[in-house]
Amino acid sequence: MFDNNVFLENTCKNIIEAGNVTGFELKTNITYYRGIPLSMVNDIGVEVDGEKVARDNIVCSVDEVDWFTLDEMETVTSYKWEYGEPLTVRVLKDGGLSNGSHEIALDVVVRTAYIPVPLAGRKVRTVEIA
Amino acid sequence: MSKIKTCVSLYSLQDEYLNKRMSLEDIFKFLAENSVEGIEIIPDQMMQNAPHPSEQTLAEWDRLVSTYKMKPVIADVFLNTNLYKNRELTKKECVDLLIEEIKLASRLGIKLIRLVSMVPAFVIEPLLPYAEKYNVTLALEIHAGLSFDVKKTQDFIKEMKRLDSPYVGLVIDTGIFCTRLPRVMAEYCKHLGTRQEVTDYINHIFEQGKDPRKVYLEHNGFPTELKQLLKSDADYFFAHMADGYENEPFSVLDEYFPYIKHFHFKLFEMTKSGEEYSIDYKGILQYLYDKGYDGYVSTEYEGNRWVLPGHPMKEKEQVLAHQSLIRNVIQELEGQEVY
Repeated sequence: MFDNNVFLENTCKNIIEAGNVTGFELKTNITYYRGIPLSMVNDIGVEVDGEKVARDNIVCSVDEVDWFTLDEMETVTSYKWEYGEPLTVRVLKDGGLSNGSHEIALDVVVRTAYIPVPLAGRKVRTVEIA
Repeated sequence: MSKIKTCVSLYSLQDEYLNKRMSLEDIFKFLAENSVEGIEIIPDQMMQNAPHPSEQTLAEWDRLVSTYKMKPVIADVFLNTNLYKNRELTKKECVDLLIEEIKLASRLGIKLIRLVSMVPAFVIEPLLPYAEKYNVTLALEIHAGLSFDVKKTQDFIKEMKRLDSPYVGLVIDTGIFCTRLPRVMAEYCKHLGTRQEVTDYINHIFEQGKDPRKVYLEHNGFPTELKQLLKSDADYFFAHMADGYENEPFSVLDEYFPYIKHFHFKLFEMTKSGEEYSIDYKGILQYLYDKGYDGYVSTEYEGNRWVLPGHPMKEKEQVLAHQSLIRNVIQELEGQEVY
């Protein structure tokens, strides 16, 4: 239903800090039709070439200033993931993505106010790292 | 003259907004150019940091409302009872959140709040002093799949009747009047892999004048015959989603009519002949007209969520076609009047 919102095209790239590749990031819109506090993000999952990234290695930000792990995000109520503004998802991993082609899958799961089951969206993209 | 007035829910143009093809101003301009005089807004959708937008955001809202002479009719409000993963909000937390929503609606020049389905009845009484002070009415949405036979809805209605305040009422979503399953929803699920036999089974329920929700309730879940047809996740997804469309007679509203503050005129798909595929708007408007309904009916396009990947989004065209249908029917009804 909201799969089309997940994993924005051309947003996946390695993160370079002080000359080192410290991981990779990608952006996604929300799998819902309104903005919610970050605490209502039920889960974010990333897979690289079929392999699931460890939950502890994922951090997210709505402003690219303050970053939260998924466990931390469960108590974050004063930062809102706005409808129409992407969330940046970072996977912390030395070396990031190696050069070449990768299949990257992103799962986004959010809680709504009234639907008993969380709303999930998934998108797989082929990403070229040069 | 009919007292039925029309407006458009900005929800209808959400994909244009999400993908930045239209800003909030573009949306106001588009609607004003097409003779739309009133709007419904989800503050959480198109107003940053709602219910506490910045002064700058509020000034921009004031400018848009005055420039485009738009009447902000109603704010769609949610209650994040599951704000935290490990517990439900307390009663006090629920009430406090909604007080902020009442204040925001008042600041936006809006006198009516649509409370999302499943909002607990206990919030009403503590909120009444705020509703009165800020002159904002609170109305629970009666939505297909969560409508009159659902416990939380029944509890709200009971409390609404007990308090009997002009500041408490209902918003009716016409998704409860589907005589056919939306075709766009079935097509989308077909693309996901739902088999034709499953779709045919559900369509047959509507043809018999029933709806999947009622049938599932009668059988304590999916009927055996349907279970045997369900082979894949896509089949199950479709069967579950199908109970979000109800097939009630208009007369289900008779009992609640004095409490009805607003209507969501749900739109899934305008057909080439200018009708809505699932809902008989001529019939509904005749019913409202006969009852002397005095209030707004709001176009709420939801077909956008069922657009297949790679297919064009036609939110603007769908909204205008629906508005044209509603306005023509109202005009016809007025033409029947004897002066």
